[in-house]
Amino acid sequence: MDKRELIRAKLAEWDLTVSESELEQLLPTYDNLLRWQRVLESMARSRKIGDGMSIPESEPVTIHAIEKKGAQR
Amino acid sequence: MTSLQDLAHEPISAVAELLRRKEVSPVELTDMTLERVEKLDPRINSFYTVFKNAARTSAREAEDAIRRGNYRGPLHGIPIGIKDIYEVGPTTCGSKTLKDYVAPADCEAVKRLKRAGAIVIGKTATYEFAYGFPTLKSYFKPARNPWNLDYDPGGSSSGSGAAVAAGLAYAAMGSCTGGSIRWPAQCCGIVGLKPTYGRVSRAGIYPLAWSLDHAGPLTRTVTDAALVLQACAGHDPMDAASANVPVPDFSEKLDRGIKGMRIGLMRSVYQDNCDPKVLRPFEASLKEFEKLGAELVDVPSITLTQMQAIEWPALFAECAAIHVDNVRHRGADYNPHAKLFVAYGLLVSSGCYLLTARARAQVRDDLLDVMGKGIDALMLPTVGFPTGRVLEDSPGLSIVAEEFSIYTAIFNFTGFPAIQVPCGFDSDGMPVGLQIAGKPFEEATVCQVAAAYEKATPWHNQHPRL
Repeated sequence: MDKRELIRAKLAEWDLTVSESELEQLLPTYDNLLRWQRVLESMARSRKIGDGMSIPESEPVTIHAIEKKGAQR
Repeated sequence: MTSLQDLAHEPISAVAELLRRKEVSPVELTDMTLERVEKLDPRINSFYTVFKNAARTSAREAEDAIRRGNYRGPLHGIPIGIKDIYEVGPTTCGSKTLKDYVAPADCEAVKRLKRAGAIVIGKTATYEFAYGFPTLKSYFKPARNPWNLDYDPGGSSSGSGAAVAAGLAYAAMGSCTGGSIRWPAQCCGIVGLKPTYGRVSRAGIYPLAWSLDHAGPLTRTVTDAALVLQACAGHDPMDAASANVPVPDFSEKLDRGIKGMRIGLMRSVYQDNCDPKVLRPFEASLKEFEKLGAELVDVPSITLTQMQAIEWPALFAECAAIHVDNVRHRGADYNPHAKLFVAYGLLVSSGCYLLTARARAQVRDDLLDVMGKGIDALMLPTVGFPTGRVLEDSPGLSIVAEEFSIYTAIFNFTGFPAIQVPCGFDSDGMPVGLQIAGKPFEEATVCQVAAAYEKATPWHNQHPRL
């Protein structure tokens, strides 16, 4: 799917419309977002457990749990 | 006795002593501050609202209390500003959408500051909802940098930074989701302290991103930052993130120096991308730390790209969840780019958001491991770019571009406490700063390191000429 259409479709799911000029601004930042997504994937720690298979070695922090683990250490 | 005007740039710690000894009265101090605001702020625009009458009433009450021997401590009778996303009186969040909103009650942080005797003189300018950069075309015009009125004071706690630097308040509260306390503090040549996540209640402060939001003070000195934090820190059941942990004396270690301490330099964040105008003063400051007896050690960390990859998708996904319905109804009244950031946040997939949350856990654990190996504090420049000019037109989505090298975000998404202190000036005469971070809930250590550097350097004694 064309990226313009993709962005419009994703925003339509939220009942939000953007103008052509707004879409122009969103396009490069959307590409950047996808790049960062790949950076995040490469950061995520996993252990290989088979051909093309891995198991996560880290799990997401829940919104309000960050400081509690820090305090325990 | 010193003239009242000479006290405008003095730290709270010095003025409080004069108030305690009844050599200066809260009414005199408040009147002097309000007169400065009236005279200077039309050019700086650091305040949206000034509580002239309420401030004078509070000052009279403080004066009576002190006269009767009921001195409450170092904030008693001290005029302060509050960022306009904190609920107290008219609370616009820097947005046309809330231009007429008046908070029904004070937020918890303000209640605590008032209980400590602080005089709230007004609401300070902010980026729209703490993220939408104001421009000359915005409904609420941008605050100006007191060091050069053509320059931006940083943000989003822009008015708080400008007011404190200009001598229009002795401290001001800010909020910080990616750097909104430390960045304006750097741009304005003052101190900004982002405490540990959960240390200061955010109840009654308009959220930007729940998992990243912090509240904290902007002040002229490290001692003052510790004093203001002391007044507003502590558990609050009304904030879901509030930490139920003891509140220590944040000033306890301010005079201990840093001899023998090991400070970790996070070079991987800044070494390849920091503008030389900012890097030069920072590198010079390293010698000062060594002279003070600290050992500087390179420590492993993430890169700027990794920091951005975690911070911005997480921040704007949460921001979008907060604002989407408001934007549907009132999008035309937001700054154009503020509306666009909400759209950007809606483009962040659930998988991406969860990857940011995994990466945050990893980075937090890695930093705790590093510090567990005998590192007392972490250090790096506050941001990697020089202070820019006030924006004439919409900056678009520029902060989610790779060039926006803000180094503060790592301590938002890990929740570690971090402080910014001035460390010199760039070639345009604009202030430059460095940040020091510590283990969760060790604000006292962070302040200890920062205070030692501050005492050895002249930067905090320099003020803009207005």
